[in-house]
Amino acid sequence: MIEIKGVHKSFGDNAVLRGVDLTVTKGEVLCLIGASGSGKSTLLLCINALESIQKGKIFVDNIDVHAKETPKSHLRRKLGIVFQQYNAFPHLTARENVALAPRLVLKKSKKEAAELAENHLNYVGLADKMHVYPSQLSGGQQQRLAIARALAMQPDYMLLDEVTSALDPELVGEVLDTLRMLAEEGMTMIAVTHEIPFAREAADRIAFFHEGVIHEIGEPDEFLNHPQKARTQEFLRCIL
Amino acid sequence: MYQYVTHFTINDLLFMAQGAGITLILTIASGVLGTIFGFLAGWARSTSSRILYYTFGAYIDVIRSIPLIIQFVLFNSFMAIAGYPLNPFVSGLITLSIYISGYVAEVVKAGIESVPETTRMAARGLGMTYLHEFFYIVLPIGTRTVFPSWVGLMLGLMKDTSLIAVLGATPPELLRASQIIITRIQQPLSILLGAGAFYFAMCHLLTKFSALYEMRWAKAQEV
Repeated sequence: MIEIKGVHKSFGDNAVLRGVDLTVTKGEVLCLIGASGSGKSTLLLCINALESIQKGKIFVDNIDVHAKETPKSHLRRKLGIVFQQYNAFPHLTARENVALAPRLVLKKSKKEAAELAENHLNYVGLADKMHVYPSQLSGGQQQRLAIARALAMQPDYMLLDEVTSALDPELVGEVLDTLRMLAEEGMTMIAVTHEIPFAREAADRIAFFHEGVIHEIGEPDEFLNHPQKARTQEFLRCIL
Repeated sequence: MYQYVTHFTINDLLFMAQGAGITLILTIASGVLGTIFGFLAGWARSTSSRILYYTFGAYIDVIRSIPLIIQFVLFNSFMAIAGYPLNPFVSGLITLSIYISGYVAEVVKAGIESVPETTRMAARGLGMTYLHEFFYIVLPIGTRTVFPSWVGLMLGLMKDTSLIAVLGATPPELLRASQIIITRIQQPLSILLGAGAFYFAMCHLLTKFSALYEMRWAKAQEV
């Protein structure tokens, strides 16, 4: 379970998170929507301690994420993160990209790590791209590679930061298919996304992020068809 | 009975070859030491510590702003005055290493900074520690980016070794050896042409060698 309690975060004078409260239970898929630059991505980075917070607390399976004594590297194994920019390691082949962290962090043998990588590349449909470098992959393939790389760490949660935003429209589908598959298998996910159809079908809840807080949250049908708050209605009108 | 010879002899050629050998040894030794120092200084400047950043910044600034020939003389004289007179080769080698480390440091810093922050974040997001991230992600990516600049520094270094002549090290390196022969046989153009050919051969070897590396990296990522 991920519990976010009264989290504040600012960059200089710019208060990005202004008291975020949110709980995501195991197996839940939560889609986070909201205007660009509203702090959704920052929130994801705070959950796995890639960004610090100034006030409040975040617990992942009852571990205080931002406590000094929490080993960050250990914590991040639980939380796979995938970014908008695919961030493939350009000097490694697809298989090496996926195998690297299991080998270094989980101390798997070279052979085990390679097998693990092959399984996960198979899973995201890149079985024929094992020995190919990222520069030879399309955007959608690189993003699926990034998903496989995160999954190979066998995380309990996936944090997805606008993973389809940088893709050409015709490549969005293949990445969303992978995410749907994950959702069906019961992976707990927090996905920042602009893909409302995907959210409608895959999410258990949708949250609208506005002015540094969770402005409104609800189950997809209720949330999308009958939003309660004026600002949510306005936002949905703009993007639907 | 000693005969004063005024033409180029086989001994002169050997003398120049010996000079070339010394040039090569000086280059390799100071190149290795300077790259190690420079790597540490460049890394220190890329960390978040302001103290390290400014300390090594000042070091680099001084090293790069004073002509090498002055550094040779100053360092050598300083050690002698301080009561630790050094062999001119040792003194020269230390000066060259310090000198080139200032340039290497900036190249290393540029290499580290060439790796996108988001790529490093992805590595940390996978649970990698700072050391994992540095050695498996930052170093290989950064090296590929700045390797040609580093090779350029090493080529410059090879030619800068000739300035060690101000310390009067014997046996002389290539350029000084050539000058000695010129004084005797009075044919500066042909001797300098020969010395140039020696320098070219050594630099060309290094260039070819590095091109081989770059090609291997490029080939691996070819479409």
